Amino acid sequence: MVSELPWNSKTGTLKRELAGGMMDPASRRALEAALQIKENQGAHICAVTMGPVMAEEILHQAKALGADDGVLLTDRRMAGADTFLTSLILSKFIQKEYKSFDLVICGSQTSDSETAQVGPQLAEELDIPAIGYVNQIRVKKDNIEVRRHVDDFYEILTMDLPGLITIDLSAYKPRYLALEGLEKAFENPDIKIIDAKKLGLDDSFNALKDSPTRIIDVFSPTTQNENRVLKGAVKKIVDQLFDEYGKVISSGMGKDIKTHDHDEV
Amino acid sequence: MDFNPCMKHQLIRNTVREFVESEIKPHVSMMDKESRFPWEIIEKMKPLNFFGLQVPRIYGGADLDTISYAITIEELSRVSAALGLCVTVHNSVGIFPILKFGTTEQIKRFVPAMASGDSIGAFCLTEANAGSDAGGVETNAVETKDAFILNGTKIFVTNGGVCGTILVFAVSEGSDKRNQGRRNQAGVFIVEKDRPGFSVGEIEDLCGMRANPVSSLFFEDCKVPKINLLGRMGQGMKIGLIALDTGRIGIAAQALGIAQAAFESSVSYAKERQQFNKPLSKFQTIQNYLADMATKIDASRLLLYRAAASKDKGKAFSAEASMAKLYCSATAMEVTDLAVQIHGGYGYSKEYDVERYFRDAKVTQIYEGTSEVQKMVIARSILSKPS
Repeated sequence: MVSELPWNSKTGTLKRELAGGMMDPASRRALEAALQIKENQGAHICAVTMGPVMAEEILHQAKALGADDGVLLTDRRMAGADTFLTSLILSKFIQKEYKSFDLVICGSQTSDSETAQVGPQLAEELDIPAIGYVNQIRVKKDNIEVRRHVDDFYEILTMDLPGLITIDLSAYKPRYLALEGLEKAFENPDIKIIDAKKLGLDDSFNALKDSPTRIIDVFSPTTQNENRVLKGAVKKIVDQLFDEYGKVISSGMGKDIKTHDHDEV
Repeated sequence: MDFNPCMKHQLIRNTVREFVESEIKPHVSMMDKESRFPWEIIEKMKPLNFFGLQVPRIYGGADLDTISYAITIEELSRVSAALGLCVTVHNSVGIFPILKFGTTEQIKRFVPAMASGDSIGAFCLTEANAGSDAGGVETNAVETKDAFILNGTKIFVTNGGVCGTILVFAVSEGSDKRNQGRRNQAGVFIVEKDRPGFSVGEIEDLCGMRANPVSSLFFEDCKVPKINLLGRMGQGMKIGLIALDTGRIGIAAQALGIAQAAFESSVSYAKERQQFNKPLSKFQTIQNYLADMATKIDASRLLLYRAAASKDKGKAFSAEASMAKLYCSATAMEVTDLAVQIHGGYGYSKEYDVERYFRDAKVTQIYEGTSEVQKMVIARSILSKPS
């Protein structure tokens, strides 16, 4: 997560030094959901991420929190993958190493690019059903029942397994990591590192070139609006504010404010 | 030689920072203003192993190495030096001497409750007439058939108002005939807070560390069973000195955390505050201040981690710990002074955190051995080596 613009417009690359590595907030919640399933029903959790070598850190974190396996998919040839190829690579890994999985849980979207595409695309690659933006999971005998927030409603759905869900940012508040768990995780630091070759990707595979989508530029939007200072007596200013901006305020609040009521008071 | 933190130490830092930033930071200013010890935060810290940082897992601790320990205290103190103080004193001079000198029975009796955070530790040496000169301790221990009777008053005890398990440094006149005519023998006693004859004095009204209930502790005919004596009578000075060596790593880490916080505030304020139509950070004077702060903080950190690494390798680390404590505390004082200066009038206001950092920093040059005592320790180590 970054506060400064991390994009170098000249070279068209990410300025990684500006961003300290961290587990994405939605992924933290996805892991929390998995941990709760493990605590309640029992489960074997594999935490997997694709990224540069330093992403290994978050897999240790995942293991310290309670994941059973940590797997890092990393290769220079996989760098620069868009969401389409990221999903493809993840699916190759699952098909190769975790064929008998029951449930894939992803964060709904990353905090940096926020596409929310990887989860659903991964489900397509694996040819399994998927439900996005889940905030409650109930594991049943042969399927799962999930709740999601849609507009102003909650929707309850059941889904056959194997399947995929993405967890949104409204539930599964992640637990803090106890230092004991962290120390333990590093006593058996067996993170599995898998490269393009091991995944069975072609020798010609090059994610940067092969990605169908490409980022052309990243920039901070500049606002076209100007600040306006209203001057004069308070009553006059308030009247002017409601007359000129009443509609904007109403729509911002989501309800109609009666802009002339205050005249009678 | 690798000067980069390993993945584990990086993750320890991130983990502690994440917790303190969200659970402690919002309350720090009020804790200081109201001189309030935040029990509700302590409850949240307990399951994360803050109270058993280096305690073996069989006794409920996290079993961290000393560098991880230092990083934890540094990150905690970066947000709340008063809680950093509570945690480091509890872990270093509270628990460590029991683990190091205690019998298995003593360890089993006292350490699990301390490591869980249910019983907070304190170490009391300082008295009205004894501080740097530990030989001047007057609290006495009179040996009876099955117990020691303690009488005396300890002052400026960190965690005094909230402690459950107290290590008390006291002297006996030596009932053993062989010791007649020799100096008093010092011993360290483990005292539980509910022992009759033990009481807590008023909480001190101090310049900084205001959220830590520092107080006097009274021992009036306080009967302590012999099984509560740590080590042997006569070992008190040795236990005290070794406890303080580890304590110094913690205080150095605390001082470093304060300095780091003051530095970060200064950088962001210098970038944002405009004078003469440009940010302060564009003035060379301010740049020089920031450069000095960053350099001293970095040097402090390297000294600290070296001392911690020496301890982990089982090497002598007394002089290294003293150097780290001497330099980190001096850095804390200098950096917080400059931080207030950079903030100008706002830095002198309680509205800004740097005012608290400035008050908190000073005592790091005083407790767990003053800077002058650190120099004694360092000089002794230099002069004891064959030239």
